[in-house]
Amino acid sequence: MPTSKNRLLTSVSIAAAALILGSAGAVLAQDVAREDTVILDLDRTIQDPENFNWMTDGTGVRRMQGAHQGMWEPLFVLGADGSVEPWLATGIESNETFDVWTLSLREGVTWSDGEAFNADDVVFSVDMILQTAELNAREVAQLRSEVASVERVDDLTVRFTLKKPNPRFVSDNLAIRVFGAFTPVPEHIWSQAENPATFTFNPPVGTGPYTLTSIATNRAIWDRNDNWWGAATGFIDLPEPLRLIVLETGGEEARAQLMAANQLDAAQTVTLGTFEAIQARNPEVEAFAPGLPYSWADPCPRQLEFNTTVAPWDSAEMRRAIAHIIDRTQIVNIAYEGTTSPSRTMFVQYPAMEAFISAVVDAGYGLPATADVAAGQALIEAQGWTRNGDYYERDGETLDMAIHVNSASTEYTRTIDVIVEQLQRAGIDARAVPVENGVFWGEVLPFGNYEVSYSWLSCASVNEPWASMGRYTSASVVPVGERAPGFNNTGRWNTEATAAYTEIVNAMGVMPLGDPAIPGMVAEAYQYLAAEMPFIPLVQAAKLLPVNTTYWEGWPTTDNPYNSPAFWRGDTHRILHNLTRAQ
Amino acid sequence: MNQTTEKSAAAPETAAPDMAGLSRAQLRRMRRFDNPWRNPKLILGATLLLSIIALGLLGRLFWDVDMVFTGSGLPRQGPVGVENLRGQVGTWAHPLGTDVTGKDILALLIIGAPNSLYVGVLASLIGMSLGIFLGFTAGYTGGRVDDVIRVGSDVMITIPPLLILVVVQAAYGDITLTMMAILIACFVWQSPTRLIRAQVLSMRESGYVQMARLSGASSGHIMFREMLPNLVPYLFGSFIANVTTSIVTAVGLEVLGLGPQRVPTLGRVIYDAINSGALIQNLWWWWGIPTALLAVMFIGLLLINLGLDEVSNPRLRRL
Repeated sequence: MPTSKNRLLTSVSIAAAALILGSAGAVLAQDVAREDTVILDLDRTIQDPENFNWMTDGTGVRRMQGAHQGMWEPLFVLGADGSVEPWLATGIESNETFDVWTLSLREGVTWSDGEAFNADDVVFSVDMILQTAELNAREVAQLRSEVASVERVDDLTVRFTLKKPNPRFVSDNLAIRVFGAFTPVPEHIWSQAENPATFTFNPPVGTGPYTLTSIATNRAIWDRNDNWWGAATGFIDLPEPLRLIVLETGGEEARAQLMAANQLDAAQTVTLGTFEAIQARNPEVEAFAPGLPYSWADPCPRQLEFNTTVAPWDSAEMRRAIAHIIDRTQIVNIAYEGTTSPSRTMFVQYPAMEAFISAVVDAGYGLPATADVAAGQALIEAQGWTRNGDYYERDGETLDMAIHVNSASTEYTRTIDVIVEQLQRAGIDARAVPVENGVFWGEVLPFGNYEVSYSWLSCASVNEPWASMGRYTSASVVPVGERAPGFNNTGRWNTEATAAYTEIVNAMGVMPLGDPAIPGMVAEAYQYLAAEMPFIPLVQAAKLLPVNTTYWEGWPTTDNPYNSPAFWRGDTHRILHNLTRAQ
Repeated sequence: MNQTTEKSAAAPETAAPDMAGLSRAQLRRMRRFDNPWRNPKLILGATLLLSIIALGLLGRLFWDVDMVFTGSGLPRQGPVGVENLRGQVGTWAHPLGTDVTGKDILALLIIGAPNSLYVGVLASLIGMSLGIFLGFTAGYTGGRVDDVIRVGSDVMITIPPLLILVVVQAAYGDITLTMMAILIACFVWQSPTRLIRAQVLSMRESGYVQMARLSGASSGHIMFREMLPNLVPYLFGSFIANVTTSIVTAVGLEVLGLGPQRVPTLGRVIYDAINSGALIQNLWWWWGIPTALLAVMFIGLLLINLGLDEVSNPRLRRL
């Protein structure tokens, strides 16, 4: 019986694979063999696939469809240990006050159309960003907020002058840290564009080892450019995969079946049970860690974000009440099946962050792993709400809460299901509002069109505290309905506490990395977050990313963590260069 | 006993049919024709549907339905005696097993199955009421009113309901069961409108209607007191067909993850199962049992529909 069931499942999965790959069939039928192709999973639809203007891309899909993994290359890559690896650049130096930075570019880099990549491209790209406010991708908004001017020193040297000192200028702007970074565009193409905000950059041109072959809403196909500058100059050898396919698989079941049937080489996160089931059917499938919990800690801890302009969540007491009611351990156990850990602070729990986390916890602002529902309810009652049956009421109004959640992943919706239950049991009529990925990032978050949302907008810091803390300062506050710059402070937290917080964070921002005073200042600033709770950190983001070693070996693992396993980020170049054919 | 009286009363009309050559069983079935409502298909169909309603009612009395919520039990438990992938054997604590977040499948069915039926019945009731009103008005009144209603229903019938509903519900995010039923009702009134209009058009010229009109009866009286009762079996059939369509539509939306988020329905259970890799994890009880229950529901509705057809049309009855 099990054999026939397995056979049935295999045929179903092959049929599913054939269906999904059907539209790519014409191209696949060409001469690239499966064993020369690496297929990466995409967890969202490529809306507007013909548009390659990453500077107007709020959702990231115009880069993670393969463009910044294969076609565009970063200036630098930031390692988990804080080290910076130069890629298109060879180095960068600042003056003593950290407000003038001189960037050196690598010699011999060319765009895929043969034009040379040089300082003109960088200067042109930065100038365009400074002059065009409609370019609104997070990395673009960040750069525009920091850079005062840029100038060409010589063919391979560029000088940035900042508005104010920033010792982290490289990691904040030029290095791939958690997803993307400022990526220069070719001047010889973009200078022809009438309006950079509406320019689609199609056909796209990059410096990377892959060029676009074909793209649709559900997949992108990239083929290796054997004339890539990196191999020609001896920088690195060509990557082994001849073809890179980024495929929207559409859900956990589909990605699991494709993985089991060897139709996928790296899958987006799946739940523990699904991973075990895939492994049972295909022993060639592995994860970042060889044993439980198998997962990799994504640098973006999950949190609940309040729109602090919407009653009753404009009250700090009410927000703190919710924080008391949430049971992080239950989220870990049910939504993550034990594969992650509760957040103690807003920060990712990487070793390089431990000093700051400890400072916050020692100051008494750490978050508990379990709930104190009675304390939460007491806070709610102190605000004049009384429990009537299932829910709290005040002036005839029921205490309810709509939580917007991106429906792209089971991880997100399942976490919110757990939180909704916790709040319901405590007397709050909470409900989840699942929203499609593009709407969530495009409409809901940046414009503050939510009451409460589930996201990871503290995400940024991996080895210093400022990048995350700087996202909640009063500098980023705009009215509801206007776009929050770079998704910063989308909850519009803007009180006296915000001002006090901002002052400390700004002071911290100009201090050199590693200054011994920083942990103390982090704790001092954190008192305002703890008191007003503009967002509630939930759990660390564990991603269980199955990779298939049937065709490709050399994926990042805990034994060889040369890169994060997050193959949707701009540093995936390092993974592609490290893959070797298994057969 | 009543049957005998009826039989003798009916005897002159049936003119003593030739019973020779019929077996005892066939004779028994012949007698059953005397009460068309004792139709086996109708009875079986109604029994199936009633069993689902009974599951909902009795289940609430005898089972802890709060277990429909996340974290009520150990995740991924199989039904009693069934081993899951981790080698744990299902127990009576969750006779039909649990899903990956520990929701009890039996509790989900107790709450979910009547909910699915409720959406279908409510949507169909609203749609039928609208259809009856518009169909009668169009057929009986004629003229401009008829043109408007006819063209309106013809246009609406060409619009694929699922497409519109997906867009509407995706925009709303979360809606109640009743709201969902109302939305579906917007797309199930056209067929009854057209069919009733056609029936009314043919009935309008019949003798008893003309007589009523001559007697000065009002339009409302003629439509709803004289003509409507003649359409009752037919309307029932149409109603049941509409319930089926509405449930299919509702389940279709739920399986896509639309519709109510926290209220269990059969479609929602299947959506969660698909979305959490239930197939690859071999959690067949998670998607299989609700699917089977839906099948029971549809078979029940189909049988009732066939039965009602036979009730209203004696020529369909077979020996």
